[in-house]
Order: sequence, then structure tokens, then C-alpha cells
Amino acid sequence: MSTSFARAFAPSPSRIDDAKAAGLRLVRPVRSRARKAPFVVVVMTILSIGLVGLILMSTVLQAQSFEAARLDQRAAQLRTQQQALGREVERMQSPANVAAKAVQLGMVPNANPAFLRLSDNKVLGKAEPAVAGSNIGSVTR
Amino acid sequence: MTQRQLLTRRRLRWCLVMVLVVFGLFGARLFQIQGIDASAYAAAAVNAGTKTSTDPAPRGTILDRNGEALATSVDGLTLTADPSMTADTAPQIARILHEKLGNRIDYFETIDKLRRPKSRFVYLVRDLPKWTADQALDAVAKAGLTGVFSEKETLRSYPGGKLAANLLGYVNGAGKGVAGLEQQYDKTLTGTDGSSTYEVSPTGQRIPMADSTVKEMVPGSNVKTTIDRDLQWYGDQRLADAVRESSSDWGLAITMDVKTCQVVQMSQAPTFNADDRTGMTDDKTVSRAVQNVYEPGSVLKTVTMASLADQGKVSSSTPIVVPSGMTIDKFHIGDYWQHGTIHLTAAGVIALSSNLGTIVAAKQMSDQVQYDYLRKFGFGQKTGINLPGESKGILTNGDEWTDSNKATISFGQGISVTAMQMMRAVGAIANAGKMCEPTIVSGTVDGKGNETKTSVAASHRVVSKDAAATVTRMMEAVTAPDGTAPAAAIKGYRVAGKTGTAWRVDPTTGRYIRGQNTVSFMGFAPADNPRFLTYIVLDKPYSNAGGGSTAGPVFHDLMSMALERFGVAPSGSESPKVPQEW
Repeated sequence: MSTSFARAFAPSPSRIDDAKAAGLRLVRPVRSRARKAPFVVVVMTILSIGLVGLILMSTVLQAQSFEAARLDQRAAQLRTQQQALGREVERMQSPANVAAKAVQLGMVPNANPAFLRLSDNKVLGKAEPAVAGSNIGSVTR
Repeated sequence: MTQRQLLTRRRLRWCLVMVLVVFGLFGARLFQIQGIDASAYAAAAVNAGTKTSTDPAPRGTILDRNGEALATSVDGLTLTADPSMTADTAPQIARILHEKLGNRIDYFETIDKLRRPKSRFVYLVRDLPKWTADQALDAVAKAGLTGVFSEKETLRSYPGGKLAANLLGYVNGAGKGVAGLEQQYDKTLTGTDGSSTYEVSPTGQRIPMADSTVKEMVPGSNVKTTIDRDLQWYGDQRLADAVRESSSDWGLAITMDVKTCQVVQMSQAPTFNADDRTGMTDDKTVSRAVQNVYEPGSVLKTVTMASLADQGKVSSSTPIVVPSGMTIDKFHIGDYWQHGTIHLTAAGVIALSSNLGTIVAAKQMSDQVQYDYLRKFGFGQKTGINLPGESKGILTNGDEWTDSNKATISFGQGISVTAMQMMRAVGAIANAGKMCEPTIVSGTVDGKGNETKTSVAASHRVVSKDAAATVTRMMEAVTAPDGTAPAAAIKGYRVAGKTGTAWRVDPTTGRYIRGQNTVSFMGFAPADNPRFLTYIVLDKPYSNAGGGSTAGPVFHDLMSMALERFGVAPSGSESPKVPQEW
């Protein structure tokens, strides 16, 4: 089929002669000077860099997502621990606990307002020694 | 056309019809999915791939005046179980839980719950702090047992236990404040829960860079009170002691800074513990300082005298002839001690707490004037302290008074008040005649640290400065060695005060009950430059308890502690001697 096709489209010898007579001649097709290889290489490189980059980024993000989940969990754990310790501190610092400890050491609440004025070393109010077991009973009991 | 060709053509046509029908069905379904139900399917697809988590906003903290926490919030868990999974391993699970949770859980009861027939859900133990619950859950999981689950919640914690319980109030199971400051400031304390929605992979991992929406959580604001935690604790303990020793039904002790009207301590006994939820009965959770009305008795004589002094009708040395007794409207009135006709000064009437002397003095003003002064002192009206359920007390209109009404009201019977109303009224006398609204919350602090101060109503004059000074001098005579409350005197300081022993009213019959009293002591110090006002009320103590002897010592200790804690030094001046008789 291809031969018949070529034959069908090939200029007939008479037409070539006519062309020659008119001063025309067949021109060889121009060969492109540009080589295809570098272009292909560049495109392939860009494509592969993009692809590898995408894979890398996706992997990193995934890994970070796992890390974030782990850190979230850890943060929650630490928050719980901080709350537990905070509550313990609050209880230890509560007046009731401090008073109980002080009473164990033999101290009593001081309900005797007396002040020492430093400028003239004067005692304001009537200072009285505290008496053991005096004042509030509910702590000592 | 041959027979065979015809047959082939018919078969081909049938095939074409079948193919067209099938394609038609596909087309119809496609139209249904894409054209009609498109949005529903799209939503379902998004739903399947997204996950929403709520970020609960913590409730705000209630702080004392120095920033110490009085009420805080912590994460909590409630343990639940599925009995269909735990029935066989009930004893092992119960043993582990009992080991980890101690007496918060009953071993045998838990076994029963874990074996409850035909049930797939039981509550095992509620309101556990998260760290405790986590330990128990870990232990159960480690032992390879299943069927125990947990539910998240926010726990309210009161580090001081009973400390200021009636003032702070408490929250219900849903975390909503239902009493005290927790109720009054519920909106402020409650934050706005945040939420985040993001796309997840089928295994539940969050897909990075996928669409996500985040609604920021807004934590509740903190409420800053004017309470001093340490003084509050001391007041709580001292009052509890007094209530026990006098076998009273209940007691109140309130201390207020008279310059600013800031309440620095407000105790009630018996009280409850909102932290471990013990003693939560109505008679203990009621906030008596603002919700309980009672007849104040003789403490109100100070208001009567201030009204008279403001009109220039008495001074501390005004002579008053006190009869041995009076019968008004067939109602016999006497003094708490037997006497004939005696000659007392106005200061003597207050110092010895003479009912008859007060009636004689009060006769100088009309019913309406006396009523108007009581209104000016704030009786029959709320104090503006901004606590829930505040009562207005009971003060009948002046034009409805009988002679006996006027007589008894002048010494504090036939009028019902709240302790906070008494604080505000006598606070005006201590503050040189100017009255302000008691406050207990100084401001709120939001999550970013912005403080909003509570607006304070300006103080206004009730009686003249001279009238207030006159009554202060009379009240100083009360704590003198020959007054009714020498036990309330504080060595080195000038103390002004007034005792009260009021008959109790039976709420069912509306009549007085013989032998049952409400005893009280109201005083302020230093009398020459008042800083604190302290009020002690003891209801239904043993029958012969008196305001001076029973409430006086509590006042002495509490006021001493307040003066010491706030560094209020005495001026060193002596109380002026005021003659009690003439």
C-alpha cells in the first residue's frame, strides 16, 4: 500500500521537466540543528525532582503528623501530671494544713495585735505571750 | 433474506435493547446521585473522612484578695463499664479498682454492678481526678481485662475544703454554679468550648495540609474576691468552736473593711465541704449572711441612737429617766436585769443595753421619722452585695406601726434583718456617717489577663459625722470594764461595740419562743479611726448565753487577728470616760 501511495503522490516525470523548465528544482528538506536529547533530559530531571520532592515532603509531613500526635498525647499526660501536683501543692499550702503542721510544732495562733515601730523602737499595742492550747480548739483537737 | 439472517437480526436487536436498558438504568442512577442527592452524598463523603474534637474550656478560678485560689477546675473522668463484657472477670476488675481508688469505691457493690444482668452500661464511680482514673484504667488494661471505659468531664476543686464554702457555693453535676459566687458569676466563670474539625485517614491519622477548621477555645474568666484566705480560715475555725461550745443551731462571723466596704471574711457554721461533697444539706448550704432573716435585738439600738443624735436629740451625756418597766398595748417590757426607776445617760443606756431607756429616748421622734431613718440605714432593702437569693428582711411601713411596734423596733424586735444589712447599717456609723454597699468581688480577670474592676456605688451620707462620733463614744462604753461586753475589749486598742440578745421567733407560729435567743455582737476597731467591723451571730445557744459573754470573745479573737493581719496599729489614745448615770 505504501508503495502505491508513494507512487500516486510522486511527481510525474513530465511535471519535473516542466518545473526544471521554469527554473525550479527540488530542495532537500532542512535538517534541524537542535538535538532532542538535552530537552528530554531537562524535562525528565524537572519531573523527577518534582516527584521526589513531593514524595519527600509527603513523607516528612506524615512523619510530623505522627510526631504531633505523640506530642499531643505527651502534653495531655504532662498537663494531667501538672494538675495532680498543683492540687497537691494547693492542699499543702492551704491554711488548714499549715495550721495543723504549726500546731504539731507547738505553735498557737497569735490573736494579739502588737507592733514594733522601728523608727523609735516603740511597741504599739499590748504584746502578750501566747498561751499553749489557747485560741482555736478545732486545730489542736 | 434467508431464515438464518432474519434470526440473527432479531437477536442483534434484542441485544441492543438489553444494552440500552442497562445503560438507561445506569444513566438514571447517575442522574439521581449527581443531580438529585448530590449534596447529601457529598456531605456523607466529607463526614466519613473528617473528625471533630471539642476542646472543653476550663471554668475560671475564684481567687482571694491576694490571688490564692479558693476554687479551681481540674480534668476529671467518670468510669463506666459494660457488664456484658465484665461479668466473668468482675472480681479481678473490682480488686484492681479498689486497690487503685481506695475507699472511693466499694468492692462488693462494684462486683454487683459489673455483673448487672441484661445491661450494657453502668456507672462505676463518678468525679475522679484524671490522674487517679488514668492509673486505675492503666492497671485494668495491663491485666488484660476489658469492658471498663471512661467519660471526660471537668471537676471543680476547692483546695480549702470547707473554707468559705457558703460564700463560694458549688456547682452541680453538669458543672453549672448553683449557689454562692459560683451561681452569681456563672456566666463569667464559664468559658466557650472550642472545637476543631479536620480530615483523617481511614486509620484515624490526621491528613496534613488537608482542610481543617478550628474554633478557638475561650477559657472562663477568673473572679477575684475581697476575701483574705487566712483570715477567712481563722474565722471559720473560731466560729465553729463557738457554735460547738455554745451548742448553737448556727453561727455567722463577718468582717468588713469600713473604709471600702469590702468584706474580708465571711464565715458560717455549721457548713459543708464542696470539695468532697460532704454535709451538703439545705441547712448547711444556705448562705445565712444574706438569705437568713432574724430579729437583731439590741444591736439595733445603735441605729436608734444614731437617728436621734442626727436630729440633735441625744448626746452621750443626755439624761434619761428609765422606769422599772412598761406595759404598751398590754405587752409588758422590761430590762434583762431587775431595777427600779434609774437615771442613766444615753451612753449608759447603750453600755448597759437598757430596752426601757431606748424606748424613752426614741419617744422623741415620730413613727414616720424613725421609719425613714431605718430606710436610710438600708433596712427593708437589699444591700447590693450581689450574692444570690438575698433577702430584703421585713420592715413594716411606719404608718402601720402600733405603739408596741415602735417601742420594740427601737431595740431591735419586730423587725427582721439579714446580717449583711446590719453590717451595712453599723458600717455607716463606723465610717463617720457615710454608708456604702458591701462588696465581695473586686473584679474579674479574663484569659488574656485583662482585669475588669467591679463598679462600686459611691457612698452616701446617712447621719452626720457628729452623730456617728456620738454613737461611737456610746459604743465604746460597751466594751469598758463596766459595760455589757468587757470580753470584747482588745488590749491596747479602742473598741466600739454593741451586744444583742434577741428573742427568737418560731417560724411556724410567728410567736416568740421563751428561752430561745439569737445572741450577737457587732463592733469596730480602732474606735478612734475605724478600719474593721466584725459581726458575730449565734442562733439558739444554751438558754442563758448572752451577746457579751458568748459572742464577745469570738469578736475579740477575730478582730484581733484582722488588725494584726492587716497591720492596723493602735493610736495609743485612751477611750474617753463617759458617765453612765446622772
